[in-house]
Amino acid sequence: MAQTMDGPNARTRLGELAGFEAVMRQHERLVLVTALRLLGNIEDAKDVSQEVFLRLYRNLGKVEAEKNYPAWLYRVTVNLCHDVGRKRRPSIAVEDVPELVSGAADPQQTLTGAERQRVLQMSLRALSEKERAALVLRDLEGLSTGEVARALGSSEATVRSQISKARVKMRDFVERYFRRRV
Amino acid sequence: MNCVDWEERIALYAGGDLAPAEGQAVERHVAECAGCQMLLSGLRESLRLVREVHGEPVEAAHFAAVRARVLAELERAPARRWRFAWGFAMAAAAAVLLIAMWQRPERKTVTHALVPAPVVSRGGVDADLPPARVSRTVRPRHKAGSGRPPRTMASAPPEPAEPMVVKLLTNDPDVVIYWITGTKGE
Repeated sequence: MAQTMDGPNARTRLGELAGFEAVMRQHERLVLVTALRLLGNIEDAKDVSQEVFLRLYRNLGKVEAEKNYPAWLYRVTVNLCHDVGRKRRPSIAVEDVPELVSGAADPQQTLTGAERQRVLQMSLRALSEKERAALVLRDLEGLSTGEVARALGSSEATVRSQISKARVKMRDFVERYFRRRV
Repeated sequence: MNCVDWEERIALYAGGDLAPAEGQAVERHVAECAGCQMLLSGLRESLRLVREVHGEPVEAAHFAAVRARVLAELERAPARRWRFAWGFAMAAAAAVLLIAMWQRPERKTVTHALVPAPVVSRGGVDADLPPARVSRTVRPRHKAGSGRPPRTMASAPPEPAEPMVVKLLTNDPDVVIYWITGTKGE
């Protein structure tokens, strides 16, 4: 049955959608960039973002009652990325990381924007899924350890352990990538 | 305690995740250990790099694409809900029909235990009929012309080989309907 968009109901609905679009604009970076860091692929990240916002629309009343959009969005984004990630290729080992051959004194300064993004994404792939989620939320998104624990459904002690391991692995990756020894 | 034992705390310290007292202990160790100084320096450097890259803007087209896809999906949603509603309505109608068919009178077994025939006494016409115990499948059929549904039924005890007589009383004490049926109610 076709549904036309005429009349007062349609106007209400269009107003509702316009309001929801404003909500999406407010939180779209949080969702898309978190998904991008967790998945490493912009198309997958867009798919997850779409699903996150559709779920947000269906649960608006509940989320508004919680009065904490970011907490809900982080939790759902991480869960959906986890579902997608299970079907994806496994993490890469730090030892398998290609070295950047550069004659510059500081190779980091010679990287283009795309290369820097690639370094970030590859370093994240060197982490386990849980380590990656913990590091992305804590170090990149700036959540507190407690907020990360709630988003991941873990204890703070577990999250601290995951974060410390992730930081050490990331350092190993970056040093190997730039063939630097600090 | 060797440096491996310090690694976790140094990593937490690099990101500002240690309590002040623990942080001071790490600082004291790092001040005396060249290897841990390198570890801390590398941790800080890599964190600075990834945070910097993470903060770089993402193309606006990606956000616009997500928004457009979500809004398009939501605009399509009502029509989809209506399709589901039609499906549910049809299923509900079918269920009601099935229940109605299942509960048709011929499927119902009516048991009267020593029926006192209250309506009979009201009409005063059948006071001579004794209370009867009836247990069988009944298929009531209204005789045309009565105009109103029967108020009650009373019947003789079942005789296996003989036709059964059902007497239907109406609101009008002068109108009594007799229904002679076969032993199977036909």
